[in-house]
Amino acid sequence: MIRESDDVIVRTVARLLMPFITLYALYVVMHGHYSPGGGFQGGVILAAGFILLVVTQGIDRVKRRMSQEKAIIFSSLGLLIYAGIGALCLILGGDYLDYGTLGRPLSVQRAEARSLGILGVEIGVALGVMAVMCAIFFAIFTPDQKNGRREQ
Amino acid sequence: MNTFFLIMGIGMCLLVMLCLFRVIYGPTILNRAAGISAVGTKTLIILLIIGVVHRRVEMFVDISMVYALLNFIGCLVLAKYLERTGEV
Repeated sequence: MIRESDDVIVRTVARLLMPFITLYALYVVMHGHYSPGGGFQGGVILAAGFILLVVTQGIDRVKRRMSQEKAIIFSSLGLLIYAGIGALCLILGGDYLDYGTLGRPLSVQRAEARSLGILGVEIGVALGVMAVMCAIFFAIFTPDQKNGRREQ
Repeated sequence: MNTFFLIMGIGMCLLVMLCLFRVIYGPTILNRAAGISAVGTKTLIILLIIGVVHRRVEMFVDISMVYALLNFIGCLVLAKYLERTGEV
């Protein structure tokens, strides 16, 4: 079990850094189409912020905001957004993930609908990647109850 | 100007090799941790130099910022691990 860091500098710097990390992750997700980055990279940066919080503030305080069950729900939600947008394109008469067909229900141009569709898919991917990374980290760092092995 | 940055990048790669030597043959675990941290910082500078050489520095700044962030978090996690195992 990870406990809270003893050093006040590490704790404060991590607390100050966390909103900027989240903002930067959102920037990477939003600018995924014309600069390096995208859904996966943005999700990894979001998860890195959570890992920083776990390392510095202790796992108990973070688990109140992001537990294992919540992480699993979020990963399913991300997958649902991705697959849902793809299936919506299929229903509207195009191919799977053919965003151009989304233009009619959104009442925008075809090109703009493509841009919005890619953005929606990337948000879904970022959500899923963030949740799965957090779930893996929690699974590694919580003590194993089955063997009765207690870590300090 | 381009040749200047190219030579600087190649020199930086040689310095990375020196740090890597300390990571592999380091006597204690703290030497290795410091070596890994130095390699990460040098990689960041190499990324920026590649950006200048290819004239797309605004894209490589994004990548290098992510690299710096992950390097920082990696250092913290490594320190936490060493604290837990009581190796230092």
